[in-house]
Amino acid sequence: MDSVEKSRIFVVIPAFNEEGAIQAVINEVCGAGYENIIVVDDGSSDGTYSKAKQAGAVALGHKINRGKGAATKTGIEAAKLLGADIIVTMDGDGQHDPEDIQKLISPIVDNECDVVLGTRLLDPKGMPWHKILANKIGNFFTWYLFGLWVTDSQSGFRAYSRHAAQVINTKADRYEYDSQVIREIYIYKLKFKEIPIAVRYTKYSMGKIQKQGIANGFKTLYKMIWSLLF
Amino acid sequence: MRFHIYQIVISAISAIMIYQGAMNYIKGRNNPTLLKLLARIVVWGSMALITIFPNLSNVAAKLIGIEGNINAVILIGFIFVFLMIFKILSAIERLEQDLSIVTRNDALKRIRQEEK
Repeated sequence: MDSVEKSRIFVVIPAFNEEGAIQAVINEVCGAGYENIIVVDDGSSDGTYSKAKQAGAVALGHKINRGKGAATKTGIEAAKLLGADIIVTMDGDGQHDPEDIQKLISPIVDNECDVVLGTRLLDPKGMPWHKILANKIGNFFTWYLFGLWVTDSQSGFRAYSRHAAQVINTKADRYEYDSQVIREIYIYKLKFKEIPIAVRYTKYSMGKIQKQGIANGFKTLYKMIWSLLF
Repeated sequence: MRFHIYQIVISAISAIMIYQGAMNYIKGRNNPTLLKLLARIVVWGSMALITIFPNLSNVAAKLIGIEGNINAVILIGFIFVFLMIFKILSAIERLEQDLSIVTRNDALKRIRQEEK
């Protein structure tokens, strides 16, 4: 992929209290060859914003915490304003391997599809059993409520074409965002593909209290049902 | 058949809620879907039915095991609480959305100004 194309590829990283990992994540993404990085600090109480700026990313800040979905949407809006043709979203805690970005964007570059979903469950090496189970439950409810079966409805490692980024418009602000995007893919009949991605569960990432736990899982389900009914 | 004031009031509220939902659906306001409209008709329609035909609540009461005046008190209380919860949850959702939009616009201000 030549430098002209790479200048239209943006990596969006929503981040909440990721001071300990964000610089390393940005450096890894740069090391993989992608320099257009947008970090959206979602109302962190630590130095996430300043660390992201120091590392050379376009740093945006939510004055208050609005959720992963809201931060992702802000980053995607920024990428569109800056002229992105392909937008990759990934987590800011180092769980995703930036070397997988190439695999995610290739089908979009080749005009095979509009959305590429990174999936951990086609090859769940290293994934804790309770996370596999939680994901399968999430996949079931996403399919049951929104009509589309995917193998990893909760993965935040995805790539979107500009067209997909323009039509996808969910009202979801928190963890239900990832499932709501699946619904938008179904409603707008976007072509999508699933690509296996590596996942790195570290002590740091597993120790974060704001991750999807059982309580958040129920809240996510409630939000998904609410969005359908009201 | 003689109607009491509470039957008229609750039926009117239910009719207004169903009418609003139907208008939103027809005019495409607030992301309407058929499922949302049907859910609204079932919820508010059931409320109107129970107030117009209170004997329907006796059927439910017999099933649950409640008898007599307690039935009326529970019904009135339930309707009132349900109405309040529904309105509050709807308002909260709208406020959450507005808050996110304001937060996003503030975060994107610098980029929008640079792109002008």
